[in-house]
Amino acid sequence: MNNRTWMSRSLAGTAVMMLGFTLAGCGGGGGDASGRPENELHLAVYGDASNKVEQAMVDTFNETSDVKIVLDTIPGADYQTKLQTIIDTDSAPDIFFNWGGGSIANFVEADLLMPLDDLIEEDPQLKEAFLPSVFETAVVDDKSYGIPMRGTQPVMLFNNSEVLQQAGIDAPPATWDELLEDVEKLKAAGVTPIALGGADQWPTQMWFQYVFDRVAGEGLFQAALDGDTEVWDSEESREALGKLRELIDAGAFGTNFDSVKFTDGGSPTLLSSGRAGFELMGSWAYATHLDANPEFAENVLGYSEFPAIEGGEGDPDNLAGNTNNFYSIHKDTRYPEEAAEFLKLMYSDEFVQEQIAIGNLPTTTNTEEFLGEASNPEYAKYQFDLVKEAPHFQLSWDQAYPPEATVTIHTAVAQFFSGQIDEDGFIKAMQSL
Amino acid sequence: MKTRPNYAAGIGSFVWLLIVAIPLYVMISGTFQTREEFGDNGPLSFPSSFTLQNYADAITSGFGRYFLNTVVVTVGVVAIVLLLVPPLSYAIVRSRSRGASFVFRFFLLGLAIPAQAVIVPVFYLINAVGLYDNLLGIILPTAAFALPICTLILSGTMRDITGELYEAMAMDGASPARAFFRLVLPLSKGGISTIAVFSALQAWNGFLFPLILTQSESTRVVTLGLFNFQTQYGINIPGLLAAVTLSMVPVLLVYLFARRALVQGLMGAGGK
Amino acid sequence: MTTLATRRQAAPGGSTTSRPARSGASSVGRPGFAWALPATIFFALFALVPLAAVAVLSFTSWSGLGDPEFVGFENWETLIADPVMLKSLWLSLLFIVLGVVTQTPLSILLGVWAAGNQRNRAILSAIYFIPLLLSSAAISVLWRALLDPNFGIPGQLSWLFGDGNLLGTQSGAIGVLIFVGMWQFTPFHTLIYQGAAKGIPTVLYQAAAIDGAGTMRQFFAITLPQLRNTAITSIILMVVGGLTTFETVLILTNGGPGTDTTITAFYMYQEAFQSFDFGVGSAIALVLVVVATLISLVVVKVSGYDKMNSSLEGL
Repeated sequence: MNNRTWMSRSLAGTAVMMLGFTLAGCGGGGGDASGRPENELHLAVYGDASNKVEQAMVDTFNETSDVKIVLDTIPGADYQTKLQTIIDTDSAPDIFFNWGGGSIANFVEADLLMPLDDLIEEDPQLKEAFLPSVFETAVVDDKSYGIPMRGTQPVMLFNNSEVLQQAGIDAPPATWDELLEDVEKLKAAGVTPIALGGADQWPTQMWFQYVFDRVAGEGLFQAALDGDTEVWDSEESREALGKLRELIDAGAFGTNFDSVKFTDGGSPTLLSSGRAGFELMGSWAYATHLDANPEFAENVLGYSEFPAIEGGEGDPDNLAGNTNNFYSIHKDTRYPEEAAEFLKLMYSDEFVQEQIAIGNLPTTTNTEEFLGEASNPEYAKYQFDLVKEAPHFQLSWDQAYPPEATVTIHTAVAQFFSGQIDEDGFIKAMQSL
Repeated sequence: MKTRPNYAAGIGSFVWLLIVAIPLYVMISGTFQTREEFGDNGPLSFPSSFTLQNYADAITSGFGRYFLNTVVVTVGVVAIVLLLVPPLSYAIVRSRSRGASFVFRFFLLGLAIPAQAVIVPVFYLINAVGLYDNLLGIILPTAAFALPICTLILSGTMRDITGELYEAMAMDGASPARAFFRLVLPLSKGGISTIAVFSALQAWNGFLFPLILTQSESTRVVTLGLFNFQTQYGINIPGLLAAVTLSMVPVLLVYLFARRALVQGLMGAGGK
Repeated sequence: MTTLATRRQAAPGGSTTSRPARSGASSVGRPGFAWALPATIFFALFALVPLAAVAVLSFTSWSGLGDPEFVGFENWETLIADPVMLKSLWLSLLFIVLGVVTQTPLSILLGVWAAGNQRNRAILSAIYFIPLLLSSAAISVLWRALLDPNFGIPGQLSWLFGDGNLLGTQSGAIGVLIFVGMWQFTPFHTLIYQGAAKGIPTVLYQAAAIDGAGTMRQFFAITLPQLRNTAITSIILMVVGGLTTFETVLILTNGGPGTDTTITAFYMYQEAFQSFDFGVGSAIALVLVVVATLISLVVVKVSGYDKMNSSLEGL
């Protein structure tokens, strides 16, 4: 019976063949443009309500172009994972959405992105049409890799004005001490002072971003990002952590914030139903409330800048949040000229108007002309002025660092808030990055 | 057996009934309420109004497409399993070659390879053959990982076909193929329906392979649709509940029309 | 039903009884190994070959960009020193044990109870069955929505849940995951036991009744021993299922609070696809495979599966 030898040989043979096949598939799978479809440009974007504008832009482009753009909307929660998994394979998109900063640093290092400087030289508008502080976010090693798309999303302190009134608070807190006083008043009024979607973790991180910026200025985080992890153990860092601990210990966030999410409506409903006084959130919170409870959004929802911290080094007008989103172009794209043509739409009047119509706030220099068309011009104007006047706009920590740092950062901020780790634990976690 | 009613068991089963039924009640009643009402009243309250808007929202957000994709994946997986497992089990049970006994051990150990463990290379494999973001790219690995358990179940069934039956076939001078089609398959119907149900449920519930191996709207399956619905529209809890309820409907239809086959198929998993 | 049940009844121990008749060589041709080949190759392609690739990757550093870089045992050293890894193994074990000890007694009791003939039991069984119609993703999404401390069930039953910080504490989060697992899987295991209990010959009970054994005695003396093999199968499925639980953790707790519900299967995903360390992720994956293999080897030894295997060689 030769069955056995035949079998073992063929099995071994197949296995070796397939192993080689799999490993060849791993790594450097992309390489050149040949594997990409002809006459198609794939555009990957973060899937959410903004997609209708992106689709409209794609339609505009496809009307006149022979190379058609295909819009791939990738589910939001999964976006960064998906992108990094496919970007070095033949399935990589030609143009893709990102947050600039750390979200593209790895791709630049792996030489996967096309520098846009030559394009900018041909059409200076690609740079000059945008607010400089925003455009800078997608500059890596002095080369530009991203063109702003969508809108800017600064983080602000939202409030329920009725709740504040009932608790005897006349105006949103301008300083940290006022915030602490307001917390006491709100507690006395029987509500959770500050709603926090701790289970999502990134809302917790927003508190760190602002307190560190206010106490130590933007330099500390930048130094840490540049590799000087000692700054986490500095006096300013410890002071910032002390401020946060003070706020947590004052009961500002209640006791069950780690079970509450922003993304399933938990924390915004706390605010809109009058069971909380404040929530620190990105500017999209307005759209969230408008969608769930228009009456509240239009009449009761208030907003203000993050309070100043007395004696801190940071400018009280500094902002934190998502500076904007960007489109970057994959180096291996078959059609770089067409891709560049598409990017030029990002400063067109049509694009700006469409973005404003759905509540986004683009960061082109001509945005101001169209602010009156926003559903809430006052809110749009307030935000735009904040961004325009801000001496520094701190990109969210989890976007500023490369994506592999996200889990560590999110875990550390959440554990610090829940008391699982102390100052030293937090410093150690951040130094491990 | 005639015994007096068992009160303890009766009470216990009633408590469990509450545990099972209350969340289901919340789920169903929530789908008929507006967001404001659901938020104001709390999940356990009786609905005071009635709306079908949530279902409309869920359907317009793409669930029709997702259902179709899931059905394609499920049918594909079941087809592959039914094509591959019966001959394999037949060989395991009847073949005298050492290879067959080796293969049985191989699949027994295969039971211990979780899909997560190999997801990275599987991604590059699927990508290399150009099946990334393609339903076939979900079908193939899902079917492969359904093989071990299905093989164990079906081999168990086939083992019970007695030697006498084969000998009776021998009178006709039956070849292995003939014995397979005339004897083994007809007598293994129970086991075959069990593995069909089992692999169908695995495909229906599949999450990790679709999560990693697809990206676009056109290849999205129901489980991923629910996951994304939560992150994108999660704030609309009644809409989310409607989507969850809808995701149950196809299996519910199968359950209503083929209750016996489904239940017995699942029961069959326990008997080896 | 009856044929299925009696066949199953005969199967575990019974397969040996039918064996002697078969040992006389029959003249029907035996299927060659070729019959097993398509399935074997197919499975090897998607499981074994990737597993080999995972083994190779566990010695590399790779973020998915560029080529994997060989780093020797670095990933393994990282893992051994990683407190989260050790914790994840303990948590996985805890999940499996808690899952088995909560689901097994409940499923046996419900299954045996539902095997009775009364009509109300059939209706109740149909309701018990419903969670089976929902996918893990659907169930996790459903429970996530129901467990909001302020606007979910805990908010309405504050006398029971306090401030409702269920997912914010380790014991709470583990409790939720175990409970949701129970809610989801008990119907299935109940069904298995129900099928098996129906197959227990009534003569056994009649004989016991003549000897004057009460319901309790009968349950412990007849029903439980008769369900032994079913219990083994059911527990294997629970163990394998518990070890690979993924979407429930991803959707309900995301491994939190902190890393308090980061079981090994989830940690592997997190390292590979959130931290983009495919090297360490692959090493964790191998640990997962080794643990799963060890567990199934133990179970196979304890159960009848290996007997099945040895009787096969006697063919």
